[in-house]
Amino acid sequence: MHTSELLNSYTVDPGTWDEMYSEPERTGGSLTAGQTLDSVRGQYRGVVDFMQQMSIEELNKKEELAKRLFMSQGITFTVYSSGEGIEKIFPFDIIPRIITAAEWKYIEEGIRQRLKALNLFLKDVYTNQFILKDGIVPVEMVYSCPHYLREMHGFHVPHDLYVHIAGIDLIRDHDGTFCILEDNLRTPSGVSYMLENREITKRLFPDLLPGNNVRSVTDYPNILHRNLVSLSPRQTAHPTVVVLTPGIYNSAYFEHTTLARLMGVELVEGRDLVIDNHRVYMKTTSGLQQVDVIYRRVDDEFLDPLVFNPDSMLGVAGIMSAYRKGNVAIVNAVGNGVADDKAIYTYVPAMIRYYLNEEPILKNVPTYQLGNADEREHVFASMQKMVIKKTNESGGYGMLMGHTASDEEISRYKMEILKDPRQYIAQPIINLSSAPCYMNGKLKPRRIDLRPYALCGPDGIQIVPGGLTRVALREGSLVVNSSQGGGSKDTWVLAG
Amino acid sequence: MLSRVADSLYWMSRYMERTDGILRMLRINYASSQDDIQEFSWKPVLRIFSYVDEEGATRMAHNTRAVLQYMVTDRENSNSVLNIITRARENARSVQDHITKELWQCLNDFYHTIRDEKLNHDLQREDPISILDILIKQGMIYFGTLDVTMARGEGYAFINIGKYLERGVQSADILDVKFSDMNYDFAKTDTTYWKYLLLSISGYELYLKTYRSGFDARNVVEQTVLNEDFPRSILYSAGQLHRYFERLKGERNQEAFRHIDFMIGKIKSKVRYSTVESIMAQGLHTYLNGIKDDLYQVGIALNQHYFAYT
Repeated sequence: MHTSELLNSYTVDPGTWDEMYSEPERTGGSLTAGQTLDSVRGQYRGVVDFMQQMSIEELNKKEELAKRLFMSQGITFTVYSSGEGIEKIFPFDIIPRIITAAEWKYIEEGIRQRLKALNLFLKDVYTNQFILKDGIVPVEMVYSCPHYLREMHGFHVPHDLYVHIAGIDLIRDHDGTFCILEDNLRTPSGVSYMLENREITKRLFPDLLPGNNVRSVTDYPNILHRNLVSLSPRQTAHPTVVVLTPGIYNSAYFEHTTLARLMGVELVEGRDLVIDNHRVYMKTTSGLQQVDVIYRRVDDEFLDPLVFNPDSMLGVAGIMSAYRKGNVAIVNAVGNGVADDKAIYTYVPAMIRYYLNEEPILKNVPTYQLGNADEREHVFASMQKMVIKKTNESGGYGMLMGHTASDEEISRYKMEILKDPRQYIAQPIINLSSAPCYMNGKLKPRRIDLRPYALCGPDGIQIVPGGLTRVALREGSLVVNSSQGGGSKDTWVLAG
Repeated sequence: MLSRVADSLYWMSRYMERTDGILRMLRINYASSQDDIQEFSWKPVLRIFSYVDEEGATRMAHNTRAVLQYMVTDRENSNSVLNIITRARENARSVQDHITKELWQCLNDFYHTIRDEKLNHDLQREDPISILDILIKQGMIYFGTLDVTMARGEGYAFINIGKYLERGVQSADILDVKFSDMNYDFAKTDTTYWKYLLLSISGYELYLKTYRSGFDARNVVEQTVLNEDFPRSILYSAGQLHRYFERLKGERNQEAFRHIDFMIGKIKSKVRYSTVESIMAQGLHTYLNGIKDDLYQVGIALNQHYFAYT
């Protein structure tokens, strides 16, 4: 079979924005070969031409190679069953997701504006609380959020920066409009996949990247390192920067070691650190060495057993006091969860207007707060069209997709909601955009999202041109989370 | 360097050295088992490299395939190559930012190779030498990658300290078990016995070049303990151990350094100023056990002064 057939068999779901095909008549169903090729969007032409020169056997070989590369490099996570670990790779689709220069410019501006406002919100909410006093965000919204930490109140973080690393989740509506689905301002993960997926593409498709004018993502660790160094409280030529990991059993461990390696800094665990006189030290073969900046991949709750969860083995006893004394910088700041709470999310456009006096560039997805009786009633009346999420969960856990849930599941979920409605929000089910995936010798449309990574330092906000495109690999699924059967793609941003 | 990192590098290296020792031992003993002239038994190998009890060793003594499976791919045997490689990889995984990417990939590939079901199957059905060669070669890639890619810093020193400490213990062990198997009878002249022992530690050709005149148990002891040019001799291992430990000398932690430096220096001198005659006078078993104990003490001291992080 030749690949032109492979392209022909592709059908775009009606009412869906497809990344590769423009489909003006929105008919759905099969198109003829001529029509198909004509309707390939400009940014995808290079890739389509390239694929057409290849046989199915070659493409299958590419897919095999990708799997082997992930496995051999240990880009895996471990599933424990019957006492022993089995190495798995996150599914990777070989066809890149492509973003045009114009689209990227718009996304970049939108994210920059949003982060500026979110950072101001965190500073405000932990110091003067003007936004609460002015009634823009209801006080009870903030105080009922489990991630709002009183321990952070009245404490000035270095450079007033709370969000140093952000992963902003974007989706595309049926008409192609980019919307913000979620802000991740605590310890967003996945950036190593942005970097590794690109490395894999270089191996799979020689010369394809330069030929298509794809912007490089390799600067990410350098920018991150520069930002981390600039946060050092000690005035020294070579401050000690470390990455703090929960350890090798964490599913993102590969990412932690990749970042430490690419930045050339030490990867530490909680047990490697000790506090003395409100300073943080690491235990080395030649005694204790002071630590200045900690990029932590341990959640707030586990960071300091003296202040938060007393059972935590992952943190360091006394680290919060060292932090509050200004002897160590912690990245991201502690307490950021109040800003990426899914109910607070509703107020982000209002924050942008309040702090920046600007109109939001990127729109939110309409969101109903179930804590509000009117909105709850509206949602309960049309559960089939809604997705319900817990406000403080991530990774696709605790979620209900109304269109696929049974009546029984829905009524059980309603009962759960009524116990503590503040902890739930509802959003109308958005028809995520689709992109072509290579599956068993055929091209199939699968739903995708996009998570670019933004780095905020004292010199401003930088967003590496690229990101993580997650794919819902199951047919018809709208859930892209890796824990729910999602995979990923290399994400190309084209130069102008 | 973090204490935890030094600890992991040291153990990664010890496990890799042990793997190499086991695989070579198995390969040569398998060849020996196919030589029907002698009464071949797997017991010594099982005694050196596993914790199997007397009964189990007797049961397997003449069952080559069972021994290979037990020593290479068995999941229950904590000293099978599979489990040792798993531990080496776990150690490497937690220090990926301190070893080169190439070295990590090499260990990771080894791990996936040894866990491959097909390998286990082939070990039972096909020519075992071919399978063992695949694994030995994977180990050689590790040693080569280490040599070519790793920076010569503190981490490299800890890797080599682990390697030569393990090798010293192993050579003492192999020699002692092989001699105890024939009741320390130095008059034994069975040439195949010595030939296979030397082959298993890659010392056969050197022996021929050094002694020319046939096999003598005294010469086997001399080469394995005292020959400075033989990379598996105890003297060579102690010398290398000392050489790499000296690199840890620094401004800080001086007291601990002096303490361990003294211990290693003493082992080195003890071996250097031994002769076959003085060893025989003491009794080979007592002598080798003494060396092993001294090496273990170095391991304990390293743990106390360099690796302690809890």
